[in-house]
Amino acid sequence: MILTPKARRKNWGLAALFLFPSLFIFGVFTFYPFFENFRLAMFQTPPYPGLPSKYIGFSQYASILSSSEFMQSLLSTLFFVLLVVPTGLLLGLALAVAAHKALRGMAIFRVIFSSTVVTSVAVGALIFGTLMNPIVGFLPWLGINPNPPLLQSPTWALPSIAAMAIWQFLGLSFIVMLAGLQSLPDDVLEASRVDGAGAWTTFWRVTVPMLSPTIFFGLVVGTIYAFQTFGQIDILIGSQNASQLHVNVLLYYIYQSIQGTNPDPGQAAVLSIVLFVIILIFTLLQLRFVERRVHYAGK
Amino acid sequence: MRPIKSLTALALSATLGASMLSTVVLSAAPAGAASSLPACPTSALSKASGTVNIDFWEAMTRANETALEGLVANYNSSQSKVHVNLVQQGGYDVTWSKWQAGLTTGGLPAMAMIGDSNLQGAVDSKSILPVQSCINATKYNTKTFLPRVLSYWKVGGVQQGLPFNVSAPIFYYNTQAFSKAGIAKPPATLPELIADAKILKSKGQGTMGLKLDAWHLEAWLATANQLFVNNGNGRQSRATSSVFNTSTGRSLFTQLKALVGSGNAGTNPANGASAYDNLLGIGAGKYSMTIDTSAALGTISQLLGSGQYPNVTLGVAPFPTLKANPQGATQAGGAALYISNKVPAAQQAAAWNFMSWLDSAENQATWSTETGYIPIRTDAASTSKVQTYWAANPGYKVPYTMLSTGVTNNATSGAVVGPYDQVRIAIANAENSMYTGGASPKTALSKASTTVNSIIAKYNSRI
Amino acid sequence: MPASSAPPQLASPAPKVTHHLLNYRLRLIARYLILTLGSLIVIIPIYLAIVNSLLVPSQLAHQPPPFFPTNPQWHTYPDAWSSGHLGVYIRNSLIQTIIIVSLQIVTSVLAAFAFAFLEFPFKRTLFVIFLSTLMIPFEVTVTQNLSTISSLGWMNTFQGLTVPFLATGFGVFLLRQAFLSLPPELREAALLDGYGNVRFLTRVVLPLSRPVIAALAVFSFLGSWNQYLWPLLVSGNDNKIRTVQIGLKQLAATQLDQINVSLAGTVIAFLPLIILLIIFQKQLVRSLTAGSVK
Repeated sequence: MILTPKARRKNWGLAALFLFPSLFIFGVFTFYPFFENFRLAMFQTPPYPGLPSKYIGFSQYASILSSSEFMQSLLSTLFFVLLVVPTGLLLGLALAVAAHKALRGMAIFRVIFSSTVVTSVAVGALIFGTLMNPIVGFLPWLGINPNPPLLQSPTWALPSIAAMAIWQFLGLSFIVMLAGLQSLPDDVLEASRVDGAGAWTTFWRVTVPMLSPTIFFGLVVGTIYAFQTFGQIDILIGSQNASQLHVNVLLYYIYQSIQGTNPDPGQAAVLSIVLFVIILIFTLLQLRFVERRVHYAGK
Repeated sequence: MRPIKSLTALALSATLGASMLSTVVLSAAPAGAASSLPACPTSALSKASGTVNIDFWEAMTRANETALEGLVANYNSSQSKVHVNLVQQGGYDVTWSKWQAGLTTGGLPAMAMIGDSNLQGAVDSKSILPVQSCINATKYNTKTFLPRVLSYWKVGGVQQGLPFNVSAPIFYYNTQAFSKAGIAKPPATLPELIADAKILKSKGQGTMGLKLDAWHLEAWLATANQLFVNNGNGRQSRATSSVFNTSTGRSLFTQLKALVGSGNAGTNPANGASAYDNLLGIGAGKYSMTIDTSAALGTISQLLGSGQYPNVTLGVAPFPTLKANPQGATQAGGAALYISNKVPAAQQAAAWNFMSWLDSAENQATWSTETGYIPIRTDAASTSKVQTYWAANPGYKVPYTMLSTGVTNNATSGAVVGPYDQVRIAIANAENSMYTGGASPKTALSKASTTVNSIIAKYNSRI
Repeated sequence: MPASSAPPQLASPAPKVTHHLLNYRLRLIARYLILTLGSLIVIIPIYLAIVNSLLVPSQLAHQPPPFFPTNPQWHTYPDAWSSGHLGVYIRNSLIQTIIIVSLQIVTSVLAAFAFAFLEFPFKRTLFVIFLSTLMIPFEVTVTQNLSTISSLGWMNTFQGLTVPFLATGFGVFLLRQAFLSLPPELREAALLDGYGNVRFLTRVVLPLSRPVIAALAVFSFLGSWNQYLWPLLVSGNDNKIRTVQIGLKQLAATQLDQINVSLAGTVIAFLPLIILLIIFQKQLVRSLTAGSVK
């Protein structure tokens, strides 16, 4: 439809009004802090506010990125993400496939599997923390009684937290996979079965490729979830022990630089930039390798 | 970096019957150019109309919190000039984080209980009014204060904070387990402790609960008169490097590695959810002895004495020194009370009024009998309240005896380090690397030393 | 001439059918086995938490701890509520969540409407800008946001807790999709009826988009209820804005030997959400999967 110039400008005005709230919030709380990181990363900040900062340029990046603490944080983060995301998605897929048919009791099973989505971080951490406690937990009864205990061991603390994160991710993963499965057209699956393909073949050759948009979505969501893991580490391990136990994933390392024993805003800025770059790389990689294989029905 | 003249320490020991008192005189020659103290605004309090409200950030929990609440209620009802508002922070680290946050947001209280490791930090942040100035202004008499307790919180000869809840690491054990294992008395030295652990384990009486706490390591070094950092343990001038990588340090690490490696001790971290697993382990029968702060004495006695643990009778003994015939003594620890200089003058004066009341002989007597913190003055220790309590509960006397006897010098006064919390974490990590990473004592100690040096260097460069 | 070894063309179908039936039954059993196993993995920790919350502390130190509370310590629940201040924390979490959810919906609806129905210069650029916020996770902006909030004097206030989250690129994306999928005839008809943009929004678009908005609400609710890092940084020393997540951590830290009480706290925090889950299942699924199925 053709609008008069006056009507068109009225539209622009309305658009500006409608866009303004979101843009303002984004401007102040998303874009500004993001770019500010780049500026702050060039300054060596004092241990206490009120004392002057020193401009040292890119050497701050160099000194932080080459430190052993950063290296170890990076490794922990990568290990954690690579452990949590694929395992969580696979388990969710398995459960979704099992719960996919409309059989007796399915509704109850579905509610059960989804329930971890509503267990918040603190709830999950406290429950698992108690279960894994060497004195009041269940592991010694099961014969698992290492010294040092799981959550105090540099080797086992991170996998333990990963196990907890997988449990909590299970609900989300299940819901995503189930929705994906339920949206698949039955006719294709029927056709392949009539052609004589066994259940296993059907699954891998037909179902999974058709699920690829869902799997891609699950990967993206799961990766972000894994990178955001923080509460469990804070509640169960705490700021003092995190680096020694190798659970100071990047986000936790950032937190320690903001409110730890020795806050260092310059360092926090550098680490925030690193976190952004890593998440960006992961997403782009997924876009390239997974989305390329994504098979859209009808395309 | 202000030049600070060296402290002169004279130690006189006199044995009087059952009790040993050590009087030490520390004379601080005033520093040359810089340290003129800001004035203590005592007049502001009397000039203020109406009640002055002050916030007091404190880090107590459980039984200790209850005791503190009682004292505050007493103070508030005993006069109407100052009203103290207790703000519980739940821990020294939380209090310090909030203090640092408050430096930007301007939300600092008039008074805070700040942990021993944040002494230099408090000074460097330039946010405190050293209590020395109020001591001078009001001619506050600190003669009966235990010398090592006062000296911990003196930097550059200036009393920065007023000690209040002072503790020392002590030895907790299950007397029933010891007697069942045939051990007559608790160990007085680390080698004896290691030997006892072996016997207890072989008799199935539990093992040693070793907390991975750098504070304990520092105590062992202090009993051997070993300095922790240079420049007079950071007291003569700002510390620039660690000095504990010596034969004494190696001997300590070697013994600890042997203790844990032989399976005669279990470990737990000093912070986080498992911070008290060593004490809880005594209740569960997993451990029959441990070392922990005397500050936990009140809470633990309540817990283990509740009747739920019939196989446990709590015993308390002095911290086992590193060697027999110790050349040094344990340093004081715990927390002190600081006045913030970011609040109005009337509140600063009110804070001094309250903290000096808290440290009166009578209140220290009440405080120590309800918590396990030591009475920090001899005239509090000699009150009948304390003497009667100690007669009935001899465990409470143990940390007092430890801190009131022994030589006072830079080593036994403890170290002063800016990034102390990070340093302690690094040392606990190095210690743990012996147990879980298989590092040799020599490697672990030198790694601790280099890490600490780089932490201190980085901090000093940012100041 | 090779011996005739042609396979019997007229083999009876019976063996094949039985084979299929057996296969089917086996697969059914396997299916239920996986489902049961999965359920156990999910339920057991929760069940144990409930049991442990009712035990006496010394029972907890037994190996194994009892699987059923023989002497249920019901007092742990009122204890967790009162000394753990859970009532206050839940209230704070609710305030936080309601503010964030409702305002996210408002800002997203408005922006999505503009992108879906209005023409204006730089529209594509602006949309890319909105999408780009999806690439900047909140964690990357935390440092400076904390600084901003504290210089505004908003530390330990509900404003400080919620304002950074009042807009969401995901919400705009989701709603724009939904608006664009409305039949275009509606727009025409509304214009013919003389509806202005605002009336079109309120009388036509919103009512028809209720399911999607509900889905967005669920998504926002979960996201905001579950927040940990930001409330941790912004909360002060008191209970003024402390949310359930931080409150639970506080409860656990002060109850190191009364683990039954802190577990009772987690159950209190957890049960209402389970009930909501059962009621709002459909919306939950829809919100979490928006964007996954093309």
